[in-house]
Amino acid sequence: MELSRSRQLLRDVLAVLVTAIFAFPMFWWALSSIKPISAMFDKDRVVWFDFEPTLINYAVTLFGRSRSQLAIDDGLGMGVAGADSYDSRQSIIDTIIVSVGATGITIVAATLAAYAISRMQFRGRGLYLNWVLGQRFLPPIAIIIPMVTIYKMAGMRDTDNLYMGYIGLIMIYALINLPIALLLMKSFFDDVPKEIDEAAMIDGASRWTTFTRVTLPMVKGGIAASAVLTFVFSWTEFLLSLFLTTDIRTIPVKIQTFVTSTGNEWGFITALGTAAVIPSFIFILLVQRHLVRGLTLGSLKE
Amino acid sequence: MTQVITETRQKWQMSLPRFLTAEHPFPWLFPASALMVVFGLYPLFKAVESSLYRRNAATRKLIFQPEFNWMKVFQDDRVWDALFNTLLYTGVALTFQLVLGILIALLLDSDRKGYGILRAIMTLPLVIPPAVTAMMFLLMLNGSFGVISRGLIAMGLMPHNFSILGTSSTAMAGVLLAEIWQWTPFMVLIMLAGLRSLPKEPFEAAAIDGASAVQVFFKLTLPMMSKVISIAVLIRGIDLMRSFDYVKVMTDSGPGTATETLTSYAGRIYFGNADFPYASTVALFTLILVILTSSIFMRIFKVKL
Repeated sequence: MELSRSRQLLRDVLAVLVTAIFAFPMFWWALSSIKPISAMFDKDRVVWFDFEPTLINYAVTLFGRSRSQLAIDDGLGMGVAGADSYDSRQSIIDTIIVSVGATGITIVAATLAAYAISRMQFRGRGLYLNWVLGQRFLPPIAIIIPMVTIYKMAGMRDTDNLYMGYIGLIMIYALINLPIALLLMKSFFDDVPKEIDEAAMIDGASRWTTFTRVTLPMVKGGIAASAVLTFVFSWTEFLLSLFLTTDIRTIPVKIQTFVTSTGNEWGFITALGTAAVIPSFIFILLVQRHLVRGLTLGSLKE
Repeated sequence: MTQVITETRQKWQMSLPRFLTAEHPFPWLFPASALMVVFGLYPLFKAVESSLYRRNAATRKLIFQPEFNWMKVFQDDRVWDALFNTLLYTGVALTFQLVLGILIALLLDSDRKGYGILRAIMTLPLVIPPAVTAMMFLLMLNGSFGVISRGLIAMGLMPHNFSILGTSSTAMAGVLLAEIWQWTPFMVLIMLAGLRSLPKEPFEAAAIDGASAVQVFFKLTLPMMSKVISIAVLIRGIDLMRSFDYVKVMTDSGPGTATETLTSYAGRIYFGNADFPYASTVALFTLILVILTSSIFMRIFKVKL
């Protein structure tokens, strides 16, 4: 529909304004991370730009510098103890390990199962899909409560053995992401004509060769989209990692530990929070084309 | 040499039972099924089992008494308050997200230069950890230095030293603000995809007939989008009913029980009283609610995922 010039201008302004409103919390968050304490906690006014930007929050959370040492170096003399508990490097490594591990397992399991559901006729196929879908609807809290006991018994919850902890989180993250990845992969397999598989098999290729050499290369986009969504959902998960492990602190849980009885360490919270969303931003923009399909479990295509 | 290998392989494959060959769905479904059985069905079964036991708080012994926890759910006023809060939370958030989602999608659905960037910015909130979003709004809603609070005070809409999240009557609104901010983009994206997939002809015909923009929206766009809208509402509705992170981080169900939802109540029973049979029962009650409402919804609106 053609709009008159003034109405088009009005629409442009409105579109920018609405986007700006939605972008504002992220902007404010990032801005707060470079504010000195005095500017952040000004009770008399909201400080916008009239402050000396500082990277101290990033130095402490991402590079493990001691805050009191930094303060002394700057001649501020504001010694605050408990510096190493704000060092979040281990959390970042843990979150990467868990997210990558969960993504790998999810993609393998989901792709194999999605191929069978898309290509083979078997009894209980509809039932199986309902099971997968039901898994997606399950409130995590319903499985967490028994899981805590199970993980304790299996030595995956409060153990000194980090590997057991990793495995525990990886498996549960793989579970919660499996339905999305599976249904998304199924919708991508459904897009590839069955005749292509059949032609390859008539030519003498086995089922497995057909899958790896013919079908799989045609759903690369789907694998990328599922992998990104799985990674992002694992990266941002909070509830399961809060309850199911005591040794591993993924980033969303680590940030909560900066909420202390003497006050919230907003500088560190915003710094780690800002750093943590950057990888997700990059990944999600890479697969933007398939995002809607992923979020609607493969039922809407763009 | 290669022939020998091929022959051996063929022989070996012949000796495998049929359900272990690639022709049978079993090996394909096995990894996914194993994951869902061990980490999904088994704990769920355990939850159902434990809901049938009564926990004696003094002796910490479990006594088999199948009806006890389930009767307690229906007599517990806190469950009903939590159910009310869950439905309020879901209803309000869903309404705002849907209406804003459609309006913003209509606004951003343009091929003009720059709109692509606006749409990309719009998707970003989706990938922020909900626990971090909750902290963002905790910072902005802080009574003394939060930017939203200061803004409301400056506009004369709020008294000084008023804490939105610390007051029973407004805490839920504060939590909802974070929820709505983060997930409206979900609706925007889906509605944009829906708008893009609509056929052009009916709109051209309507334009020739001189239909107004409002008429076109209600008589054409909305009915043609009904499938997309119902899928979006279903997925979002389910996630809202099982939402946990925002309430946990922003108010921890408080003040008092003002923002207590079913999931957060279940968590509180478990970590507060260690009464895991009853906590499981409340969690299962939530699951039943989700299944019931979603199947009724799917039946009425004929949604198939």
